[in-house]
Amino acid sequence: MAGALAAIADASTRAGFREWLLRVADDELIIGHRHSEWTGFGPDIESDVALSSIAQEEVGHARAFYAQITAGEGDDEDHLAFARLPGEYRHAVLVERENGGWEWSIVRLVLYERFDAERLGLLAASAQDPFAGLARTLLREERYHTLFAEAWLTRLARGGGDGRARVQAALDAAWPDALGLFEDTDVDARLAAAGILQGSPDALRTAWAAAVRPVLESSGLRIPSTPARTGGRRGQHTPEFDRLHAQMTEVWRSEPGARW
Amino acid sequence: MGGGVTVGAEVWERRLDTPRDVWAVFLQARTRDPHVHVGDVHAPDAEMALVLAKENYARRDPCVTLWVVRAAEIHTTTQDAAEMFEPAIDKSYRFGGSYRRQQQVYRSAWRLSHRDEDQ
Repeated sequence: MAGALAAIADASTRAGFREWLLRVADDELIIGHRHSEWTGFGPDIESDVALSSIAQEEVGHARAFYAQITAGEGDDEDHLAFARLPGEYRHAVLVERENGGWEWSIVRLVLYERFDAERLGLLAASAQDPFAGLARTLLREERYHTLFAEAWLTRLARGGGDGRARVQAALDAAWPDALGLFEDTDVDARLAAAGILQGSPDALRTAWAAAVRPVLESSGLRIPSTPARTGGRRGQHTPEFDRLHAQMTEVWRSEPGARW
Repeated sequence: MGGGVTVGAEVWERRLDTPRDVWAVFLQARTRDPHVHVGDVHAPDAEMALVLAKENYARRDPCVTLWVVRAAEIHTTTQDAAEMFEPAIDKSYRFGGSYRRQQQVYRSAWRLSHRDEDQ
Protein backbone atom coordinates (compact mmCIF):
# COMPACT_ATOMS: atom_id res chain seq x y z
CA MET A 1 0.00 0.00 0.00
CA ALA A 2 1.36 3.38 -0.94
CA GLY A 3 1.27 5.64 2.09
CA ALA A 4 -2.00 7.49 2.49
CA LEU A 5 -0.02 10.41 3.87
CA ALA A 6 1.85 10.67 0.59
CA ALA A 7 -1.43 11.70 -1.04
CA ILE A 8 -1.18 15.07 0.72
CA ALA A 9 0.73 17.18 -1.78
CA ASP A 10 1.95 20.01 0.42
CA ALA A 11 5.02 18.87 2.39
CA SER A 12 4.39 21.08 5.40
CA THR A 13 0.75 19.96 5.69
CA ARG A 14 1.83 16.35 5.26
CA ALA A 15 4.42 16.65 8.02
CA GLY A 16 1.83 18.35 10.24
CA PHE A 17 -0.73 15.62 9.76
CA ARG A 18 1.89 12.95 10.42
CA GLU A 19 2.74 14.74 13.65
CA TRP A 20 -0.95 14.90 14.62
CA LEU A 21 -1.40 11.19 13.97
CA LEU A 22 1.71 10.42 16.02
CA ARG A 23 0.13 12.18 19.00
CA VAL A 24 -2.89 9.91 18.71
CA ALA A 25 -0.78 6.77 18.40
CA ASP A 26 1.69 7.75 21.13
CA ASP A 27 -1.13 8.63 23.57
CA GLU A 28 -2.65 5.20 22.97
CA LEU A 29 0.64 3.31 23.28
CA ILE A 30 1.72 4.99 26.50
CA ILE A 31 -1.62 4.90 28.30
CA GLY A 32 -1.95 1.28 27.18
CA HIS A 33 1.43 0.55 28.71
CA ARG A 34 0.44 2.19 31.99
CA HIS A 35 -2.83 0.23 32.12
CA SER A 36 -0.94 -2.99 31.43
CA GLU A 37 1.08 -2.41 34.61
CA TRP A 38 -2.13 -3.16 36.55
CA THR A 39 -2.23 -6.70 35.19
CA GLY A 40 -2.08 -8.97 38.21
CA PHE A 41 -2.53 -6.07 40.65
CA GLY A 42 -6.12 -4.90 40.05
CA PRO A 43 -8.51 -4.57 43.00
CA ASP A 44 -10.44 -7.65 41.88
CA ILE A 45 -9.90 -10.28 39.23
CA GLU A 46 -12.75 -9.06 37.02
CA SER A 47 -11.51 -5.47 36.87
CA ASP A 48 -7.95 -6.71 36.44
CA VAL A 49 -9.03 -8.64 33.34
CA ALA A 50 -11.11 -5.73 32.06
CA LEU A 51 -8.37 -3.10 32.40
CA SER A 52 -5.80 -5.50 30.94
CA SER A 53 -8.08 -5.95 27.98
CA ILE A 54 -8.45 -2.19 27.61
CA ALA A 55 -4.66 -1.94 27.72
CA GLN A 56 -4.35 -4.45 24.90
CA GLU A 57 -6.88 -2.53 22.84
CA GLU A 58 -5.07 0.78 23.32
CA VAL A 59 -1.76 -0.75 22.23
CA GLY A 60 -3.61 -2.29 19.28
CA HIS A 61 -4.97 1.12 18.33
CA ALA A 62 -1.48 2.58 18.51
CA ARG A 63 -0.20 -0.17 16.28
CA ALA A 64 -2.95 0.44 13.72
CA PHE A 65 -2.05 4.15 13.53
CA TYR A 66 1.69 3.45 13.38
CA ALA A 67 1.09 1.02 10.52
CA GLN A 68 -0.84 3.65 8.57
CA ILE A 69 1.77 6.30 9.29
CA THR A 70 4.68 4.11 8.21
CA ALA A 71 2.96 2.71 5.12
CA GLY A 72 5.15 3.87 2.26
CA GLU A 73 7.93 5.13 4.56
CA GLY A 74 9.94 1.91 4.67
CA ASP A 75 9.93 1.45 8.45
CA ASP A 76 7.51 -0.81 10.27
CA GLU A 77 5.29 0.02 13.26
CA ASP A 78 7.74 -1.48 15.78
CA HIS A 79 10.30 1.05 14.64
CA LEU A 80 7.97 3.93 15.50
CA ALA A 81 6.89 2.36 18.77
CA PHE A 82 10.33 1.43 20.11
CA ALA A 83 13.20 2.96 18.16
CA ARG A 84 12.60 6.62 18.95
CA LEU A 85 14.26 8.61 21.70
CA PRO A 86 12.03 9.85 24.55
CA GLY A 87 12.02 13.39 23.16
CA GLU A 88 10.60 12.16 19.87
CA TYR A 89 7.35 10.92 21.41
CA ARG A 90 4.35 13.22 21.06
CA HIS A 91 1.98 11.94 23.76
CA ALA A 92 0.66 14.23 26.47
CA VAL A 93 2.29 14.06 29.89
CA LEU A 94 -0.99 12.85 31.45
CA VAL A 95 -0.62 9.38 29.96
CA GLU A 96 3.00 8.88 31.05
CA ARG A 97 2.36 9.52 34.76
CA GLU A 98 3.02 6.55 37.02
CA ASN A 99 -0.01 4.71 38.29
CA GLY A 100 -0.14 5.20 42.06
CA GLY A 101 -3.55 4.22 43.41
CA TRP A 102 -6.41 2.63 41.49
CA GLU A 103 -8.44 5.84 41.86
CA TRP A 104 -5.72 7.77 40.06
CA SER A 105 -5.74 5.38 37.09
CA ILE A 106 -9.55 5.52 36.98
CA VAL A 107 -9.63 9.34 37.06
CA ARG A 108 -7.02 9.46 34.30
CA LEU A 109 -8.99 6.92 32.28
CA VAL A 110 -12.19 9.00 32.55
CA LEU A 111 -10.44 12.23 31.54
CA TYR A 112 -8.47 10.60 28.73
CA GLU A 113 -11.28 8.53 27.22
CA ARG A 114 -13.62 11.51 26.98
CA PHE A 115 -10.82 13.39 25.22
CA ASP A 116 -10.00 10.48 22.93
CA ALA A 117 -13.64 10.14 21.88
CA GLU A 118 -13.77 13.83 20.87
CA ARG A 119 -10.48 13.59 19.02
CA LEU A 120 -11.35 10.39 17.17
CA GLY A 121 -14.69 11.99 16.31
CA LEU A 122 -12.82 14.85 14.66
CA LEU A 123 -10.74 12.42 12.61
CA ALA A 124 -13.76 10.24 11.79
CA ALA A 125 -15.59 13.28 10.41
CA SER A 126 -12.67 14.26 8.17
CA ALA A 127 -12.18 13.30 4.54
CA GLN A 128 -8.81 11.72 5.35
CA ASP A 129 -9.22 8.06 4.48
CA PRO A 130 -8.09 5.52 5.56
CA PHE A 131 -7.51 7.36 8.86
CA ALA A 132 -11.14 8.44 9.15
CA GLY A 133 -12.32 4.86 8.66
CA LEU A 134 -9.90 3.61 11.32
CA ALA A 135 -11.16 6.27 13.74
CA ARG A 136 -14.77 5.19 13.21
CA THR A 137 -13.83 1.57 13.94
CA LEU A 138 -11.85 2.41 17.06
CA LEU A 139 -14.64 4.56 18.52
CA ARG A 140 -16.65 1.37 18.99
CA GLU A 141 -14.07 0.02 21.45
CA GLU A 142 -13.46 3.35 23.13
CA ARG A 143 -17.12 3.50 24.12
CA TYR A 144 -16.61 0.56 26.47
CA HIS A 145 -13.49 2.13 27.95
CA THR A 146 -15.58 5.14 28.98
CA LEU A 147 -18.32 2.90 30.38
CA PHE A 148 -15.83 0.97 32.51
CA ALA A 149 -14.03 4.10 33.70
CA GLU A 150 -17.18 5.98 34.68
CA ALA A 151 -18.80 2.98 36.37
CA TRP A 152 -15.73 2.78 38.61
CA LEU A 153 -15.43 6.54 39.14
CA THR A 154 -19.01 7.01 40.32
CA ARG A 155 -18.78 4.08 42.73
CA LEU A 156 -15.48 5.20 44.19
CA ALA A 157 -16.73 8.76 44.65
CA ARG A 158 -20.21 7.91 45.95
CA GLY A 159 -19.37 4.80 47.91
CA GLY A 160 -18.74 6.51 51.23
CA GLY A 161 -15.67 6.40 53.47
CA ASP A 162 -12.70 8.35 52.20
CA GLY A 163 -13.52 7.43 48.59
CA ARG A 164 -14.63 10.84 47.42
CA ALA A 165 -11.69 12.66 49.03
CA ARG A 166 -9.24 10.29 47.36
CA VAL A 167 -10.89 10.66 43.96
CA GLN A 168 -10.90 14.44 44.41
CA ALA A 169 -7.18 14.40 45.23
CA ALA A 170 -6.50 12.32 42.10
CA LEU A 171 -8.60 14.70 40.03
CA ASP A 172 -6.75 17.72 41.41
CA ALA A 173 -3.43 16.06 40.55
CA ALA A 174 -4.52 15.00 37.06
CA TRP A 175 -6.25 18.20 35.98
CA PRO A 176 -3.29 20.32 34.74
CA ASP A 177 -1.96 17.34 32.79
CA ALA A 178 -5.43 16.62 31.39
CA LEU A 179 -5.60 20.17 30.04
CA GLY A 180 -2.18 19.45 28.52
CA LEU A 181 -3.91 16.97 26.20
CA PHE A 182 -5.13 20.05 24.31
CA GLU A 183 -1.73 21.69 23.98
CA ASP A 184 -1.85 23.94 20.95
CA THR A 185 1.03 23.85 18.51
CA ASP A 186 1.39 25.37 15.06
CA VAL A 187 0.45 21.93 13.67
CA ASP A 188 -3.20 22.40 14.60
CA ALA A 189 -3.57 25.77 12.89
CA ARG A 190 -1.78 24.44 9.80
CA LEU A 191 -4.13 21.46 9.52
CA ALA A 192 -7.22 23.61 9.99
CA ALA A 193 -6.00 26.09 7.36
CA ALA A 194 -5.33 23.26 4.91
CA GLY A 195 -8.81 21.83 5.52
CA ILE A 196 -7.43 18.51 6.77
CA LEU A 197 -9.18 18.62 10.16
CA GLN A 198 -12.02 20.96 11.08
CA GLY A 199 -11.65 22.16 14.62
CA SER A 200 -9.06 23.48 17.02
CA PRO A 201 -7.67 22.27 20.35
CA ASP A 202 -9.82 24.98 21.99
CA ALA A 203 -13.01 23.68 20.41
CA LEU A 204 -12.02 20.16 21.37
CA ARG A 205 -11.45 21.24 24.95
CA THR A 206 -14.84 22.94 25.13
CA ALA A 207 -16.58 19.77 23.91
CA TRP A 208 -14.53 17.66 26.35
CA ALA A 209 -15.29 19.93 29.30
CA ALA A 210 -19.01 19.71 28.53
CA ALA A 211 -18.72 15.90 28.50
CA VAL A 212 -16.70 15.43 31.72
CA ARG A 213 -18.46 18.10 33.81
CA PRO A 214 -21.72 16.18 34.44
CA VAL A 215 -19.81 12.97 35.16
CA LEU A 216 -17.63 14.64 37.79
CA GLU A 217 -20.25 16.92 39.32
CA SER A 218 -22.88 14.21 39.65
CA SER A 219 -20.32 12.33 41.77
CA GLY A 220 -19.89 15.32 44.05
CA LEU A 221 -16.46 16.21 42.68
CA ARG A 222 -15.17 19.77 42.32
CA ILE A 223 -13.70 20.70 38.96
CA PRO A 224 -10.25 22.20 39.58
CA SER A 225 -9.37 25.62 38.20
CA THR A 226 -5.64 25.03 37.80
CA PRO A 227 -4.04 25.96 34.47
CA ALA A 228 -2.71 23.52 31.89
CA ARG A 229 0.70 21.94 32.17
CA THR A 230 2.01 21.44 28.62
CA GLY A 231 5.10 20.21 26.83
CA GLY A 232 4.29 16.62 25.90
CA ARG A 233 3.16 17.48 22.37
CA ARG A 234 6.57 19.09 21.86
CA GLY A 235 8.47 16.10 23.20
CA GLN A 236 9.11 17.54 26.66
CA HIS A 237 8.50 14.62 28.99
CA THR A 238 9.11 13.80 32.65
CA PRO A 239 11.53 11.39 34.33
CA GLU A 240 8.48 9.15 34.77
CA PHE A 241 8.46 8.70 31.00
CA ASP A 242 12.20 8.10 30.84
CA ARG A 243 11.74 5.12 33.15
CA LEU A 244 8.77 3.83 31.19
CA HIS A 245 10.64 4.26 27.90
CA ALA A 246 13.70 2.39 29.18
CA GLN A 247 11.54 -0.54 30.22
CA MET A 248 9.23 -0.53 27.19
CA THR A 249 12.05 -0.47 24.64
CA GLU A 250 14.35 -2.92 26.45
CA VAL A 251 13.55 -5.94 24.29
CA TRP A 252 13.68 -3.93 21.08
CA ARG A 253 17.11 -2.49 21.98
CA SER A 254 18.50 -5.95 22.72
CA GLU A 255 18.32 -6.77 18.99
CA PRO A 256 17.19 -3.78 16.93
CA GLY A 257 15.42 -4.73 13.76
CA ALA A 258 14.97 -8.40 14.71
CA ARG A 259 11.88 -10.02 13.24
CA TRP A 260 9.77 -11.60 15.98
CA MET B 1 -29.64 -19.83 51.68
CA GLY B 2 -33.37 -20.54 51.94
CA GLY B 3 -34.67 -23.19 54.29
CA GLY B 4 -35.58 -25.49 51.43
CA VAL B 5 -38.69 -27.46 50.75
CA THR B 6 -38.65 -31.04 51.95
CA VAL B 7 -40.41 -34.04 50.52
CA GLY B 8 -40.17 -36.86 52.99
CA ALA B 9 -36.71 -36.59 54.53
CA GLU B 10 -35.10 -34.97 51.47
CA VAL B 11 -34.51 -31.29 50.72
CA TRP B 12 -35.24 -31.07 47.01
CA GLU B 13 -35.30 -27.27 46.49
CA ARG B 14 -33.30 -24.37 47.84
CA ARG B 15 -31.63 -21.11 46.83
CA LEU B 16 -28.03 -21.14 45.65
CA ASP B 17 -25.77 -20.61 48.63
CA THR B 18 -23.72 -17.71 47.23
CA PRO B 19 -22.62 -14.32 48.60
CA ARG B 20 -24.70 -11.27 47.63
CA ASP B 21 -22.02 -9.89 45.32
CA VAL B 22 -21.91 -12.92 43.02
CA TRP B 23 -23.76 -12.45 39.73
CA ALA B 24 -24.45 -15.25 37.26
CA VAL B 25 -23.69 -14.18 33.68
CA PHE B 26 -25.80 -15.33 30.75
CA LEU B 27 -24.61 -14.74 27.21
CA GLN B 28 -26.64 -14.67 24.02
CA ALA B 29 -24.40 -15.32 21.04
CA ARG B 30 -26.88 -14.44 18.28
CA THR B 31 -30.23 -12.69 18.39
CA ARG B 32 -32.38 -15.82 18.30
CA ASP B 33 -30.16 -17.95 20.55
CA PRO B 34 -31.00 -18.70 24.17
CA HIS B 35 -29.05 -16.97 26.94
CA VAL B 36 -26.54 -19.46 28.29
CA HIS B 37 -24.82 -19.39 31.68
CA VAL B 38 -21.12 -18.80 30.96
CA GLY B 39 -19.80 -17.99 34.45
CA ASP B 40 -20.02 -15.51 37.33
CA VAL B 41 -18.61 -12.11 38.31
CA HIS B 42 -18.27 -10.32 41.64
CA ALA B 43 -19.88 -6.87 41.59
CA PRO B 44 -21.69 -4.53 43.98
CA ASP B 45 -24.66 -3.94 41.66
CA ALA B 46 -26.19 -5.01 38.36
CA GLU B 47 -24.69 -2.26 36.20
CA MET B 48 -21.17 -2.98 37.39
CA ALA B 49 -21.81 -6.70 36.92
CA LEU B 50 -22.72 -6.07 33.27
CA VAL B 51 -19.68 -3.83 32.75
CA LEU B 52 -17.36 -6.52 34.12
CA ALA B 53 -19.17 -9.40 32.43
CA LYS B 54 -18.74 -7.74 29.04
CA GLU B 55 -14.96 -7.79 29.22
CA ASN B 56 -14.65 -11.10 31.06
CA TYR B 57 -17.03 -13.19 28.97
CA ALA B 58 -17.75 -11.39 25.70
CA ARG B 59 -14.25 -10.34 24.72
CA ARG B 60 -13.60 -12.95 22.06
CA ASP B 61 -16.71 -14.91 21.23
CA PRO B 62 -19.79 -13.53 19.51
CA CYS B 63 -22.31 -11.85 21.80
CA VAL B 64 -25.36 -9.67 21.22
CA THR B 65 -26.76 -9.34 24.75
CA LEU B 66 -25.75 -10.24 28.29
CA TRP B 67 -27.91 -10.96 31.32
CA VAL B 68 -26.76 -10.83 34.91
CA VAL B 69 -28.75 -12.26 37.80
CA ARG B 70 -27.85 -12.28 41.47
CA ALA B 71 -26.77 -15.88 41.90
CA ALA B 72 -28.33 -15.95 45.38
CA GLU B 73 -31.73 -15.35 43.72
CA ILE B 74 -31.43 -18.53 41.67
CA HIS B 75 -33.37 -21.47 43.00
CA THR B 76 -32.07 -24.91 42.35
CA THR B 77 -33.17 -28.47 42.75
CA THR B 78 -30.66 -30.27 44.93
CA GLN B 79 -28.31 -33.12 44.12
CA ASP B 80 -30.41 -35.17 46.56
CA ALA B 81 -33.29 -34.81 44.15
CA ALA B 82 -31.33 -35.89 41.06
CA GLU B 83 -33.16 -39.18 41.18
CA MET B 84 -36.44 -37.58 40.17
CA PHE B 85 -34.99 -36.85 36.73
CA GLU B 86 -34.23 -40.51 36.11
CA PRO B 87 -36.90 -42.31 34.08
CA ALA B 88 -38.20 -45.44 35.82
CA ILE B 89 -39.14 -47.11 32.57
CA ASP B 90 -38.03 -46.72 28.98
CA LYS B 91 -39.36 -43.37 27.69
CA SER B 92 -37.08 -42.98 24.68
CA TYR B 93 -40.20 -42.47 22.57
CA ARG B 94 -40.36 -39.01 24.15
CA PHE B 95 -36.92 -37.93 22.91
CA GLY B 96 -37.13 -34.99 20.55
CA GLY B 97 -33.74 -35.54 18.98
CA SER B 98 -35.01 -35.77 15.45
CA TYR B 99 -36.35 -32.19 15.53
CA ARG B 100 -33.74 -30.10 13.78
CA ARG B 101 -34.43 -26.80 15.58
CA GLN B 102 -34.15 -28.43 18.97
CA GLN B 103 -30.81 -29.93 18.01
CA GLN B 104 -29.58 -26.48 16.98
CA VAL B 105 -30.66 -24.96 20.30
CA TYR B 106 -28.99 -27.68 22.31
CA ARG B 107 -25.83 -27.53 20.26
CA SER B 108 -25.39 -23.76 20.59
CA ALA B 109 -26.02 -23.96 24.33
CA TRP B 110 -23.55 -26.80 24.68
CA ARG B 111 -20.92 -25.00 22.60
CA LEU B 112 -21.11 -21.92 24.81
CA SER B 113 -20.98 -23.73 28.11
CA HIS B 114 -18.05 -25.89 26.96
CA ARG B 115 -16.17 -23.27 24.99
CA ASP B 116 -13.05 -23.34 27.15
CA GLU B 117 -12.67 -27.07 26.57
CA ASP B 118 -13.01 -26.60 22.81
CA GLN B 119 -9.70 -24.78 22.58
